[in-house]
Amino acid sequence: MTVTRLDQGQRYRPRMAFLKKIEALMMEMQNPDTGIKTQTQTVMIANIPHAVTGNDILQWILQRLQITAEEALHLGDLFVKYGYIYPLQEPKNLTLKADGSLYRFQTPYFWPVQSWAADDTDYAIYLAKKNIKRKGILEEYEKEHYNMLNQKINYKWDFVIMQAKEQYKAGKERKKEDRYALDCQERAYWLVNRTPPGMQDVLEYGVDRVTDPNENKIMYYQQAIVKTRVKSSVSLGGLVKYSEQFLSNDPILSGCLPSNPWITDDPEFWDLNAKLVEVPTRMRVERWAFNFNELIRDPKGRQNFQLFLKKEFSGENLSFWEACEDLKYGDQSKVKEKAEEIYKLFLAPGARRWINIDGTTMGITVKGLKHPHRYVLDAAQTHIYMLMKKDSYGRYLKSPIYKEMLAKAIVPQETVKKRQVKLAVIVGTGLFGRRHLRSSPSPIILRQQEEEAKAREAATTVDITQVMSKLDRRNQPQKEPPPK
Amino acid sequence: MVKEECKALLDALNKVTACYRHMVLTIGGTSDSQNLREELKKTRQKAQELAVANRNKLTTVLKDKTVSKEDKAEFERLWVIFSTCLEILEIDMRRALELGHEFPLNVPKKHLIQTGMSGGTSGVAARAMSVQNMKYEAEHNIDVVDLKDLENEINQVGEMMYEMEMKVNVPQWTVEAKQDPGAELKSTISVGASSIGMISVEENKSFCDISKVLAGIVFSAVLIIAIVLAVCVVKLS
Repeated sequence: MTVTRLDQGQRYRPRMAFLKKIEALMMEMQNPDTGIKTQTQTVMIANIPHAVTGNDILQWILQRLQITAEEALHLGDLFVKYGYIYPLQEPKNLTLKADGSLYRFQTPYFWPVQSWAADDTDYAIYLAKKNIKRKGILEEYEKEHYNMLNQKINYKWDFVIMQAKEQYKAGKERKKEDRYALDCQERAYWLVNRTPPGMQDVLEYGVDRVTDPNENKIMYYQQAIVKTRVKSSVSLGGLVKYSEQFLSNDPILSGCLPSNPWITDDPEFWDLNAKLVEVPTRMRVERWAFNFNELIRDPKGRQNFQLFLKKEFSGENLSFWEACEDLKYGDQSKVKEKAEEIYKLFLAPGARRWINIDGTTMGITVKGLKHPHRYVLDAAQTHIYMLMKKDSYGRYLKSPIYKEMLAKAIVPQETVKKRQVKLAVIVGTGLFGRRHLRSSPSPIILRQQEEEAKAREAATTVDITQVMSKLDRRNQPQKEPPPK
Repeated sequence: MVKEECKALLDALNKVTACYRHMVLTIGGTSDSQNLREELKKTRQKAQELAVANRNKLTTVLKDKTVSKEDKAEFERLWVIFSTCLEILEIDMRRALELGHEFPLNVPKKHLIQTGMSGGTSGVAARAMSVQNMKYEAEHNIDVVDLKDLENEINQVGEMMYEMEMKVNVPQWTVEAKQDPGAELKSTISVGASSIGMISVEENKSFCDISKVLAGIVFSAVLIIAIVLAVCVVKLS
């Protein structure tokens, strides 16, 4: 089976749409009434019909399409160049001459087709046939092609020879005149499709012939095939699981306690769920057990978790994580200082609160810190996050600290019904004027409070190195006496 | 024995393919006719029969493990020739389908392209079918009716080629051609000097011939004059 090579030339070019239009015109030209008048060409002793003069063609085009003479000449020239009409007296000169030089129409088999290009095997057969006919006299470029094809499709060569001989013999069964016409046709076809050197090749489009405009599409689709896909059953399953888990926490679907502030104008819900409230609600604490992300995104949860981590002497992990978050989302003008501080505090060898990350990550981070930016600590942060998630989180959920928090958590009472509230509001507004709505504290103040709390905590943290050094000092005097 | 049979079958297929190509060339031209379409149909069917016969024979041989190495190489060569022939046949059949659609014969508005052909293709068809004369017995609208069959047959050929490719594992590029380039010239095909397709060559030839002829004439003229003079001398003396 021949491997059909990807034809990057004509196939993709929309310019080839004109072929159909030319064919329509060609067929119109054949009309005995409105088409072109034909003459007979006399060759040696034979008469071959259906020859037309160049001038006739030109006149017909002018009359049919109503265009200027220049355009008509150009169009007629293109007909000849693409091989729909071929010249009889100067076969190699594929131009339309507006005089009495004779042309003939090409048989439809040899019309240019968009879907397949002239085949090498066919060309080889043609050259072999010509060889037989002319007893070895081929043009120079034809000889070159012949030798090149012999090498290129050598495995088909026996077939080429066989087929050439057979086609030649079969041709003999036809009339002499027909044989001559056939020869002319074939010669014209191959002049168009395998142009001799020096002749303009109309089927070539210049430099961008080699690039395929569909290339980008092909690449995209190839990558799309290779892309890993998640089955919709799997992704939908995940969505369902998430929805089921969080259903009870959704204020719209399951209602919220004490009451929805937008409906009852009662901000108690927000007060009870403030960021660092003293006693969180039960729903909130239960949510921390769903997954690690819930815990770490909730400031109260973080606080509680930090307590637990201190007991386990891995408090620096969470502090480092928080510092990285601050670097990412904080003031970018202070990136350099912040990064340096973090390095001094957490990453430098012998730092006060040294975090335990593996060598490669440390290498990448230190390298990146030379040119610090927002995400320079991403790798280290991810490592610490995964460490906490896989290691400490499990233990936290079983720890007494969490259980205590869960027990302490309150379940707010549902407030009075809507109708009664409305009545109360109306009465209230009626009796005491406008109800005084207390505004929540300004975010700026809240942030200041947070930062103060952080600073206090940082000052009081005990870090592992101090503890270990203390332990060492304590152990050493004990060790000394025994050797004595 | 088997080799000769295979070769004979392959030659027959080759011949029919060549004839089919000749006939497809004339579709749409002035020698197109209902007869041509019928010839195409018959030739095509014959080609398919031969193709099936070839395939069966060659597959049995190639699957046979007891064949010697040289024989196997020879059969692989035949296989490559066979598959190439089938490809050419398929391409021609597809072309015939396209052209058949474009040039229906009984539509008065559609005119055939005046390609300069005036004779028919019955000789070629007779050669393909290996008969003396072609008999035409089809209905007058075979050009349209046949197209459906043609489509089916193209699909069949396509399937056959696919099956062949799957079942027989012969890498084509390992086959070496037996014939050298230019082998066609050594054949004993006589190039008809009466063929008028060799105008330019004949002109050259005739030019050389003219000089030779002139030389011949001059020589014979000189000879005659010499003889006449001798006779005169003899007579006078």
